[in-house]
Amino acid sequence: MATTTSTLSLTSPDLTGDALALSVSKICYKGGTTVGLDQSTGLTRAYLTATTSIDIFPVVKGTTNAAETGKVYIANLSEDETEFLIVSLANSVIGRLYAGDFLWMPWTPQAQHLSDIEIVPSVATGMVVEYMAVHNFANIYPTSADS
Amino acid sequence: MATTTATITLASGDLLSNAISFSSTASLTKAGNSTGLTETSGLARTNFTDDPIHQKLIYRGDDATSDGANKIYMKNLSTTPSEYFQIYVNSEEMGRLYAGDWAFFPWAANNGTKRVFTVTIAATWAIGDTWEFDGVKLYADSATVGSIANQIHALNYPNWVTTHTTDAATVVFEDRVSGLGGTTVVVTADGTLNTDGNGTANISSAAVSVEGVGDIYAKPSVATTMDLEHMLFRQ
Repeated sequence: MATTTSTLSLTSPDLTGDALALSVSKICYKGGTTVGLDQSTGLTRAYLTATTSIDIFPVVKGTTNAAETGKVYIANLSEDETEFLIVSLANSVIGRLYAGDFLWMPWTPQAQHLSDIEIVPSVATGMVVEYMAVHNFANIYPTSADS
Repeated sequence: MATTTATITLASGDLLSNAISFSSTASLTKAGNSTGLTETSGLARTNFTDDPIHQKLIYRGDDATSDGANKIYMKNLSTTPSEYFQIYVNSEEMGRLYAGDWAFFPWAANNGTKRVFTVTIAATWAIGDTWEFDGVKLYADSATVGSIANQIHALNYPNWVTTHTTDAATVVFEDRVSGLGGTTVVVTADGTLNTDGNGTANISSAAVSVEGVGDIYAKPSVATTMDLEHMLFRQ
């Protein structure tokens, strides 16, 4: 098994009256076990030049991983604070990643198209994004197949 | 403005042939500028001990600015590996947070719509007439329609907020939160009227209420106690 550790640090001296200094760390396990996730899409860096939706992690038709839990990392590497990336779970918008923002979220693919993770850049002038999934799914394809 | 920093580190010595170790740091700023987020729900802990198991609403779309640079932190505080929370954005399951797992993601907070209607006080009222709506009862202390409307506006309603121009005969009601009327219910004449004269309190028809499509829900895997830690950073 592999050992992949994700750590988050959230700090702020002045967001509230009491300083915020939160740190969490967790090994990425397969669902319901203490066995490490052992597959990865690899860390992808892409330069996007169109404002069209891209399936970065489509679910293969006929496969389901409803009892599993993968982890997804996406980062908007833009340095223009007005540029953002819309992140969706199929047709449900999760949120906008503005310049420099990242996300780390669980991903449990239910079915093709229903659970695809999609991104849409806000501009067509070129945005650099990074994304990666750590998982133990039967199949996911890092290709565009939105429908 | 506040300065809030989020840093993620991902490291593995054996997931791939080549060790990975990378880190990304983000300053939490408002949408489209470099002004720090200034509002937070605070770090919260929600207990789930329901049998049968129920999902709970963690954040409602109304809680933050739609399409803002809002962020949500969540952690499953369970220490039993098999216990998980299913996290939903509206009705779509994002994924499962197993024991100790955490998530940090942006949130569009897409609001739903709220019902809005107008009550118009008219005709002949008398002191002591009553009007009841949303469990709140008005006893008219004047026979003047403008004064009665002032009284209606001054009351506090559990599920509605009002706007009103002093001494005008109309009061506008709006849902406190979206979605309370479901997706098809339109407000009808809910007010109960009891007048000595022929006073009326007619209402306009209301817009259909729609649940926020960005609502965040969590559902535990077991009915025995589980705790979810969560925090909203909003603009």
